[in-house]
Amino acid sequence: MPARAARIRRWRENLGSYGFITPAFVILGAFVLFPFLFVIYLSFHHWNLINPNPPWVGFTNYIDLIHSQTFWQSLLLTLYYIAGTVPAQIILALVLALLLSGKIRGLSAFRLGVFSPYVTPVVATTIVWLWIFNPEYGLLNYVLHIFHLPALPWLTSPTYAMPGVMIYSVWHDLGFSIIIYLAGITNLPRDIREAARIDGAGAWQEFWRVTWPLLTPTTFFLVVINSIGAFKVFTQIYTLTGGGPVESTTTTGFYLYQYAFTYFKIGYASTVAVALFIFILILTLVQLFLAERRVHYQ
Amino acid sequence: MNRDFALKTLFRVLHYTVLSLAVIVAIFPFYWVVVTSLSTSSHVFDFPPVMVPLWHFHNYVRAWDEAPWARYFFNTVFIAAVTTALVIVTSSLAGFAFGQLRFPGRGALFVLLLSLIMIPNEMLLIPNYVLLKDLNWLNTYQAQIIPYGASVFGIFLLRQFFLSLPVELYEAAAIDGCSRIRYLLKVGMPLAKGPIATIAIYIFLGSWNAFLWPLIVTTSSSVQPIQVGLATFLSAHGTAWTRLSAASVFTTAPIMVLFLILQRQFVEGVSQGAIKA
Repeated sequence: MPARAARIRRWRENLGSYGFITPAFVILGAFVLFPFLFVIYLSFHHWNLINPNPPWVGFTNYIDLIHSQTFWQSLLLTLYYIAGTVPAQIILALVLALLLSGKIRGLSAFRLGVFSPYVTPVVATTIVWLWIFNPEYGLLNYVLHIFHLPALPWLTSPTYAMPGVMIYSVWHDLGFSIIIYLAGITNLPRDIREAARIDGAGAWQEFWRVTWPLLTPTTFFLVVINSIGAFKVFTQIYTLTGGGPVESTTTTGFYLYQYAFTYFKIGYASTVAVALFIFILILTLVQLFLAERRVHYQ
Repeated sequence: MNRDFALKTLFRVLHYTVLSLAVIVAIFPFYWVVVTSLSTSSHVFDFPPVMVPLWHFHNYVRAWDEAPWARYFFNTVFIAAVTTALVIVTSSLAGFAFGQLRFPGRGALFVLLLSLIMIPNEMLLIPNYVLLKDLNWLNTYQAQIIPYGASVFGIFLLRQFFLSLPVELYEAAAIDGCSRIRYLLKVGMPLAKGPIATIAIYIFLGSWNAFLWPLIVTTSSSVQPIQVGLATFLSAHGTAWTRLSAASVFTTAPIMVLFLILQRQFVEGVSQGAIKA
């Protein structure tokens, strides 16, 4: 019975194919998909990690969240952090990527220099910056002193702590945006830029009329991905300020950590996690929607 | 004509000046941490600050003796290496299946896989902590390895690679009696060296720099990675700037050296990883 034999063979082959994807699916199922559903489940409970039977509380955590002043404050601080880091990164990265895409001597050394902060661990480099930001002996206040500017209480005052964290983050993350812009510039259609040149467009005009519009998808991508990163920012806040002083640097990602692993309010923290997911999802959808529209334009 | 030339030269000078300035700002903190680490606990507070190294190496000796750094280093390398190896295995298997094999539900399963990238890691901290606690995995190596042992980005990258590989190659091997797993090991993976290297660097860098997750699931220095160890050291010696700087230098040096050796792959890994993940 060749038909039957073939069917059995096909069956065994399929089974083998599933075998190939099983290891990845087991891990992702256990540590991504299942926890994703589990955290939603937890958000409807009150739990301190110890009680063996956490009570179901319906939407209580969600109502608490909406009425929580500290939560909205963390969200505002996240937006403040985005406003202070994303535009600065976009502008600096674009300028540097354009300069780095030209024909210049020592190009690879320049690239290496501007990328290096991005690959270094955050904890190790925040140690240097803690020292640079030191209000009494730090290098930054010394530089301000040289320019006859007053010393600032960088990470120790509610007003200047967040700007300090922003400076650190732009310094550390800029290399990433430069890499992405460089990839975008390399992929630009060469003929369009050359045509603009031949038509007598100056460098300035060429940038505004050709390069900048063609790079819009890259810019959108960077705005969204850096904003998403802002919702997740944790390590530099943990080591530079610990969320303070007086919660002036407690962004939503740090707020989540505090409620979960300092206060052990697992149910409420799970609700924050769900809210975080929704914010990030919205940003992702905006990105997809805008990317789609760009494609139609072209 | 002369004006044109002058303008061009001016632009060139400006070009180099801006770039040099950017590089100085980017790498000055590295210089500064080295200078501080070689200073003394009294000179470090000099005003104006001393800008050149004073070559006092004893800070390194003292800092090294104050924490189990060798252990931290071993833990970090071990966790990063095993995680990377595991990701390469799971990604190669699944990427090969999605790229070269036909089986019912292939499309749907792949979409399900891709949809997982919508879930941010931070959302999974609490449930995974609870899960690991119930498994009695807190304070273990596997807690830091297994949850990161599969990567959607890795599977995606290898699937793209295997899609571009002609199926005839595989069919010819199959006729010669070569099993699929053998084909993957002997033909597929050697051909996929490029994307595998990209994945390896991306995962290794991520694992080396991981902080939040090990901070949550470990409390014992016997399994903690270097970043968490460094944070502990920081909170214990918060104002000992010379020793803190020394620790910062010797914990950053290995990843910097690796970056210098593998710059191109690093950049490749970062840009591909970002776009796909």
